[in-house]
Amino acid sequence: MKEIDYDLWEPVIGLEVHVQLNTKSKLFSHAPNRFGDEPNTNITDVCTGQPGSLPVLNKEAVKKAVQFGLAIKANISRFSKFDRKSYFYPDSPRNYQITQFDHPIILGGSIVADVEGTTKIFPVNRAHIEDDAGMLKHFSTFAGVDYNRAGVPLIEVVSEPCIHSAKDAVAYATALKSIMEYIDASDCNMEEGCLRFDANISVRLKTEKGFRNKIEIKNMNSFHNMEMAIESEIKRQIRLYSEHPHEDPKKLLRSGTYRFDLEKKETVLMRYKEEAEDYRYFPEPDLVPIVLTESYIEQVKAHLPELPHERNKRYTESLGLPQASAATLINDKNMCFYFEEALKTCKSAKNLCNWLIVEFTGRIKDSGKTLEQFGIKPENVAHLVNMIEDGTITGKIAKSVADDMIVTPSKDCRDIVKENPDYQPLQDTSSIEALIDQVLSENAQSIADYKAGKTKAFAFLIGQVMKLCKGKASPTIVNEILTKKLQ
Amino acid sequence: MHKLSAIELKDLFVKGEISAEQIAKHTLNRIEKYDADVGSFLDIHADKMLRKAKELDAKKKSGQKVGSMAAIPVAIKDNINIKDTITTCASKFLTNYKAVFDASVCKFLEEEDALIIGKTNLDEFAMGSSTENSAFKKTKNPWNLTCTPGGSSGGSAAAVAARLCPLSLGSDTGGSIRQPAAFTGIVGFKPTYGRVSRYGLVAFASSLDQIGPFSTTVADTALIMQTISKSCPYDSTNIHQDAPDYLSCLQTASLKGKKIGVPWHFLEKLSEESKNNFNQAVEVFKSLGADIVNIDLDILKYSIAVYYVLATAEASANLARFDGIRYGVRSQKATNLEEVYEFSRQEGFGPEVKNRILLGTYVLSSGFKDAYYKKAQQVRTLMVQKFKEAFSMCSLVLMPTSPIPAFTIGEIQDPLQMYLQDIYTIAANLIGAPAISVPSGFNKNNMPLGIQIIGPQLHDKEVLCAAHSYEQATGHGKIIPSYFDNEVSK
Repeated sequence: MKEIDYDLWEPVIGLEVHVQLNTKSKLFSHAPNRFGDEPNTNITDVCTGQPGSLPVLNKEAVKKAVQFGLAIKANISRFSKFDRKSYFYPDSPRNYQITQFDHPIILGGSIVADVEGTTKIFPVNRAHIEDDAGMLKHFSTFAGVDYNRAGVPLIEVVSEPCIHSAKDAVAYATALKSIMEYIDASDCNMEEGCLRFDANISVRLKTEKGFRNKIEIKNMNSFHNMEMAIESEIKRQIRLYSEHPHEDPKKLLRSGTYRFDLEKKETVLMRYKEEAEDYRYFPEPDLVPIVLTESYIEQVKAHLPELPHERNKRYTESLGLPQASAATLINDKNMCFYFEEALKTCKSAKNLCNWLIVEFTGRIKDSGKTLEQFGIKPENVAHLVNMIEDGTITGKIAKSVADDMIVTPSKDCRDIVKENPDYQPLQDTSSIEALIDQVLSENAQSIADYKAGKTKAFAFLIGQVMKLCKGKASPTIVNEILTKKLQ
Repeated sequence: MHKLSAIELKDLFVKGEISAEQIAKHTLNRIEKYDADVGSFLDIHADKMLRKAKELDAKKKSGQKVGSMAAIPVAIKDNINIKDTITTCASKFLTNYKAVFDASVCKFLEEEDALIIGKTNLDEFAMGSSTENSAFKKTKNPWNLTCTPGGSSGGSAAAVAARLCPLSLGSDTGGSIRQPAAFTGIVGFKPTYGRVSRYGLVAFASSLDQIGPFSTTVADTALIMQTISKSCPYDSTNIHQDAPDYLSCLQTASLKGKKIGVPWHFLEKLSEESKNNFNQAVEVFKSLGADIVNIDLDILKYSIAVYYVLATAEASANLARFDGIRYGVRSQKATNLEEVYEFSRQEGFGPEVKNRILLGTYVLSSGFKDAYYKKAQQVRTLMVQKFKEAFSMCSLVLMPTSPIPAFTIGEIQDPLQMYLQDIYTIAANLIGAPAISVPSGFNKNNMPLGIQIIGPQLHDKEVLCAAHSYEQATGHGKIIPSYFDNEVSK
């Protein structure tokens, strides 16, 4: 069989991202919006669809939606309304979802994302507010429903079909997540299902203009799964078209809804589009339309926090952080805020960033805690970096101090250094000179290499000296003396 | 005591001439004596009522101020929740459903020291115009026990007409308060949409539903309106401002110089008997100084069609929650999820409810929504516009409440004929306007007739005042059906 040329094809992907908002109460009732409690404890008459109950809109959810709209520079609808979407399922307490059908609160806008070093702009079609369903739990002989999640506010963000690879999709979703985190609209906890993705995927020959039939993969809940799912579906479609070049593409690939099977690592058909339900949308008569005034929108705009891409710009341009470090830092909101706090007392942003995202992250990653939760204060890390900067300790010693900080998180790192004689750097040049002389006498060959122009030999000699002094000598001083002696 | 209005009863209680307990016992005795004939109640909360009465007597004795509804017995239509008691909506499906919260209106009544008696019969889920669609029993018209009391709030209307209690609450989606009020010779008021909180009213068609009272006098309606019109944060469509003092407004009510619009052209098809009665009412208005003007409301001919598209569409979604999963009666036959839905709804709902769910589902279905639902919404908007024009020429509109007086039980079998009952009442729901039915006399068979006064939105006060003026000049509502006009022995 002929080899399939995947490069001839262009995937066309649209993402629908459901984001749970972190409001105190649910979208239409005063029940707490909280994950992980005993089943059916965070419920009211509204969450269980009791006869006579009525929804009352949570203003906080509207505010968060507006914040998001402003963050992606979208049009904020001055008038939007809710609609009923009818379908029967036990997790739906009224057997209709309250969503926004034809007048969503957010229209347009775009998400700026970094895809492997390139900045891309992904246009957004719309975003609307709706309520989440409960959760079905299956037991051996019966099923139960937990309505704790029923009524949790969601924003559904619908992209334009502007995404052309699995990597693009992940970058888009990551940037979206980051915005939601920084405007404090969502906790974005993936394990708790705060973020769920549906992808509409089709492929076409790069020379084609129109769209071919698309399929939808529903309910992916991690970036990794989404990447795998999209990747495998793109390949499947290209294979299908390539292997049947003479068949009508419309008949070959029927539109439908799929899920991604993690075991088989492939998409599995749930139902074809023609079998899809008729949701019978109509305006929700129990709620009044959302009418937003200019002054309200201006007020929300005025209080909008610094957004991830603005932060990225500041970090790379003003603080001089490398792009990759800035991105790593920003992707971890807790760490980023910790960094900002430490920066207030720290002399070097770049070193501080490194110490946080490499050294400290490595030391605590297995604990599942943040540095703050660990009990290490931001200024304590700042002091550590400052001690390196002003030559009080060497980088090598700093690593040992960091180890000690993990053991005694509340202890000031300056006291740790003061109290441990091993952490006192060699200050007098005479003893350093003696060590250098010893190394030079034992490494005649390296001296010869150095003189022959091999720079590596110099680094080797420095290394030997540092080893001998157990890292306690300042590398700058060692460097200075060694250079002098080799002249 | 049964001849007394709510206000008169309360005054006696406040003066100390009668105790709340006496009132409660009297009410329960009358219900015991007569309700076997009328069939207005589905559930009587006798213990609760007596307990409340005793508390109220103690409260009064201790010198505390009593509420504005003190010691007034009130019956509640059984589609309005009272916490910890059964709300059936006259449906088999909810036979076992215990409400988990109080409807706002019931809470307000409790706060003002009313004596809530229990729950009254209705057409299943308020769908009907005769109360014959109740899954439990037929309610009779106190003026002729072979006739229906109208519907859907037939139980609440019959209870007041038979003087089992002076006040009751009903709900009105297309005429369900006004038509039974006309049929039973009492006052029935549908307030402006949003005036009375719907929280706790089991929804039929949310954009049309409105709770309102039945009483023997307009003043009693004004009294209870003060209480049930309180602002409610649990209903987003509620008018979040306090109602005016309806009761004191009545004292200065006058029709002098008021322009009253009558859509004469639309009334041409009215039967001779009903037309004569209506014309007499018009003469009374004239004699009171009102200026009768002719208005064009021919758009009303579309009201039934528009109503049965919109109301059923909303109902199809509102009733979707009755699925046998969380509450209600789950079919014993069901062996899987699909069957739980299918059999529970098949066994739980009566034929008229099924008709309307099917119709509502159909008009919202893809391919039909534009032709039916959207079109009906457009006509509804047009109707609002036409009424606005009419109200620029007059301050109130006068019409009959119903084309015919009460009919015999079983007489109307064709649902479409039944739907025609609402021809004059539906418009007020579609435009969200306040409308009242006041007794306007009797036909040759001694069956009551009613006239309807409709006002612009939020003009509830003007509607009540006009009704009060008419009532004071006529007094048809004072007549009690003779069978029920006897004191019960204590």
